[in-house]
Amino acid sequence: MTGFILRRLLWTIPVILLVILFTFVLMRQIEGNPFRRSERSVPESIQQNLERKYGLDRPWYVQYAKVVKGVFTFDLGPSLVLRNRDVNDIVRTHFPPSLELGALAMTFALVFGIPLGMLSALKANTIFDYSAMFISNVGFAVPSFLVSTLLIYFFALQWGEWTGLPTSGWDSWESKVLPTIALGLGPMAYFARLTRGTMLETLQQDYIRTARAKGLRWRRVVVVHTLRNSLIPVVTAAGPILGFLITGSFIVEQIFAIPGIGAYYVTAVTARDYSVVMGLTVLLALVVIIANLVVDILYGVLDPRTRDARA
Amino acid sequence: MSTPAPKPAASGASLPLSPSTAFEPGGAGAAIRQSNLWKDAWYRYIRNRAALVAGAVFVAVLLYCIIWPIVSPYDPNDVEFADARQGPSLAHPLGTDNFGRDLLTRTALGGRISIGIGFAATFVILAIGVAYGSISGLAGGHLDNGMMRFLDALYGLPYLPFAIITLAILGEATFWAMVIALSIATWFTTARIVRGQIITLKQNDYVRAAGTLGARWHRVLLRHLLPNTLGVLVIAVFLELPGVILGEAFLSFIGLGIGPPDASWGSMAQEGYETYRVFPLLIIIPSVAIATLILCANFIADGLRDALDPRTRET
Repeated sequence: MTGFILRRLLWTIPVILLVILFTFVLMRQIEGNPFRRSERSVPESIQQNLERKYGLDRPWYVQYAKVVKGVFTFDLGPSLVLRNRDVNDIVRTHFPPSLELGALAMTFALVFGIPLGMLSALKANTIFDYSAMFISNVGFAVPSFLVSTLLIYFFALQWGEWTGLPTSGWDSWESKVLPTIALGLGPMAYFARLTRGTMLETLQQDYIRTARAKGLRWRRVVVVHTLRNSLIPVVTAAGPILGFLITGSFIVEQIFAIPGIGAYYVTAVTARDYSVVMGLTVLLALVVIIANLVVDILYGVLDPRTRDARA
Repeated sequence: MSTPAPKPAASGASLPLSPSTAFEPGGAGAAIRQSNLWKDAWYRYIRNRAALVAGAVFVAVLLYCIIWPIVSPYDPNDVEFADARQGPSLAHPLGTDNFGRDLLTRTALGGRISIGIGFAATFVILAIGVAYGSISGLAGGHLDNGMMRFLDALYGLPYLPFAIITLAILGEATFWAMVIALSIATWFTTARIVRGQIITLKQNDYVRAAGTLGARWHRVLLRHLLPNTLGVLVIAVFLELPGVILGEAFLSFIGLGIGPPDASWGSMAQEGYETYRVFPLLIIIPSVAIATLILCANFIADGLRDALDPRTRET
């Protein structure tokens, strides 16, 4: 098991190098440059000096090496557009809210989605099952901007005095309730559907019948025999979803005015702020990579057969 | 000269009918329904009521988006400030927007863009996925291993940030720019599925037989392998579509979508979001349209999976 984890960890290094290369190449394809944004464009000589200062006049492989070095030494360099800030600074202030929002939404999705799916499977084809699945299907389909808007409209504006929830911000726990639900609803619905499907399939298995036949209590059969085996597909799906929740929460952040990474990212891309875009993209990619890594390890724990097969 | 002429014509006319009539009257073969995979799948599909309703609604939405802008009495870009922000009425069944434009017409046009981008991006995703997956699966060995490792690395790419960078590269957010942005970091799953299918199919006796008989690799691929992945690909269309349509809506919502006066459902929702406190209808209509389409696509995908691939129900 340790060998498996080690090999998986080592494998992330070339992956990170590749992500940096991709972002690097793509960023250089965008026309324009970080210093020519204002109406009064700077004189040619100053332009050249600026490019020399930030190393933009060097060959691409020197610049690439510099970026790689920066990523691995956790020094992402200065922002090219915001002259008095460096990328580490931006990451330190704006990444925690995004990370926290993603983690909260994921927790919400798992805590409510899995039990909902379980109950639906155990009470298959009853009114409860149908209504739970109806809610899941709708929750999965409604875009997050509508969910966010409706949540603000009803819970913060119409019934605001009663619920005490604010419309925006990210300081008190009350302000985190609505964004968490808005972002977590879709994945929750997805987990509920997934859990229901795999539970129904697992309940058909022979070993469940054996477990019941030998007189085990029903609760034990459900929790130990059924749930554990049903969770494997859920875990597989959870990795990419966690990555998406942290990297794709731009809209919810924008609507709830959360000082996360989303708004920064779009401005940095349009301003050609190479170092900020590079730093943030690598960071977001790291989140996705780590999420996938955790999933692979969990997968090995839940299903011992896969330990040797997946290197 | 003129009398024998009708004779061959008459027999020619009856000819198309003869195969079906020949099989219908009793006899040994009568009980067996002439069938194939797609016919069977169709029968299984229409027996699934949810999938059938979803399919009908989906087609209805498509027809509405295609036909309504042509027959609508309103010009979708006709600004009429006197009629701004009206609720539903007989003249405007869905009301009007901030500029007094008829929402029923605007929504249909927005649907053309959203659904158009959705289908185009889905097909691009499938095309790349099929090409990559079938090469990898067919080649096997070191090439397959290398290509799959590369794919693993690509899985690390966060999809929205790369879509945003791609849009910046392409400059203006045109139809095809959106399509490229939405497919650049989303084809990995399809490539994996196709590779898995190809590898499984490769083991079949008829494929090996074709190889033994001297069929070249492209013949094996085009004639024996890819047609058998068609079922999976048809399902994949409706599995990918919701994600792509949502992605387009997200990009449009943060202001990176197709610019005015054209609008997709996402940019309509963004317009609506700005005035939701006074006129919530404007964000609800395009969002409900998106939700309806995604809901239908999910049920269609479920129905197709049960119909085309009865062995693997839920993944």
